[in-house]
Amino acid sequence: MASVGSKPDVSSKQRQFDALVRSLSGDLYRYAYWLCNEDALAHDLVQETFLRAWRSLDSLRDTAAAKAWLITILRREHARLYERKTPQFADVDDVDIADERDAHAPESVGEDGLIRAAMQRLDAKYREPLLMQVLGGFSCEEIARELNITPAAVMTQVFRARQKLKGMLAGDVKEAQLS
Amino acid sequence: MNCLEFRRELNIHPQSNDAAFVVHARECPRCAQAQADALAFEATLGRALAIPPPSNLAESILLAQATQQRRESQRWRRGAGWLALAAAAVLAVGVGWRATSAQPLGDAAIAHMLGAEAPALAYTAPVADDSVRKAFAKRGIDLAQVPADISYVQCCPVGKYKSVHMVMPRANGPVTVMYVVDDHVASRSDFSHDGWLGRSVPLAHGTLVMIGHDAGQFAQIEREWQATLQAATRI
Repeated sequence: MASVGSKPDVSSKQRQFDALVRSLSGDLYRYAYWLCNEDALAHDLVQETFLRAWRSLDSLRDTAAAKAWLITILRREHARLYERKTPQFADVDDVDIADERDAHAPESVGEDGLIRAAMQRLDAKYREPLLMQVLGGFSCEEIARELNITPAAVMTQVFRARQKLKGMLAGDVKEAQLS
Repeated sequence: MNCLEFRRELNIHPQSNDAAFVVHARECPRCAQAQADALAFEATLGRALAIPPPSNLAESILLAQATQQRRESQRWRRGAGWLALAAAAVLAVGVGWRATSAQPLGDAAIAHMLGAEAPALAYTAPVADDSVRKAFAKRGIDLAQVPADISYVQCCPVGKYKSVHMVMPRANGPVTVMYVVDDHVASRSDFSHDGWLGRSVPLAHGTLVMIGHDAGQFAQIEREWQATLQAATRI
């Protein structure tokens, strides 16, 4: 961190940081939540992301790029977390989805709940580009840069993501009608 | 653009404004219907993914940042003053050290509570039990149960003490609760400073410190933490 003596505009830096936190923490939280499927972990990830962002805030030149910059930091934090942690294998169908439905009741019992459950079942390689497009509002080119793949690959993945989601939802609706 | 190309584009960019895409939707009723369905699905998808963030998310991030900044500036000051301190220590060995290490826990706890984390006293929304468990786990304690109505939790160094710092809102004002791990006070004692009342109690693996404006609220909180910490195990 820079010393006070070399940064005469500490208060403007603080104002910029406050504005970033207040305007983007909600979006980042939603993105983090769908990355890790856990409320508390998403909260920790977003907090750690902003703490890292504070330390390197001087490198943010273009405010229009702030969201993409923060998502890059968040994705790195998430990857670091999984380097440190041994994944806990559990039956996602039985455990995670049930928790998720509890956590976001009462909507969870309706169509939103079915979509959330289907999103959690979606493979990460399809889920992440779709999240970046739907939640982040990023173009395929921006997603490609962030995920380090080609724009054509992003298009294929968001295409398949929607098809898989719709396929799962059709199955869920049939199951719901049978039960 | 033919129907196949339209359907592919529809699954990639449902809200596309591409001229050929728009023209095809105008000319082909089946694709126009598919587009209407796709847009309805997008609206539902967007709503389903919009998980509400915790109500105090921004405040808790700003608080963590302010706390970190304060700690870093303290470290910097300590580093800058190291040579002078070392020289002073040589001269005052056995005297100065005793003076700094003897700061009472109660005074350190009140100073910490009124420092950068003072805004936490205003928090009322309960934090998740998991957050409390995680904070205690960081201090080497596995909680089997968590008392209700904790609105703030953070692992904090309080002077030389390692603590879990919490706030428990109560009818007569918030009570700051700090559990200092592996540091037992000799006996239960009450203290006060700047209008704040406090109590420290040796409990299980350390010391429970409670601070508030109404000491009448301490007994119930102590009972809750006594039950919790006696059921807890060391990790």
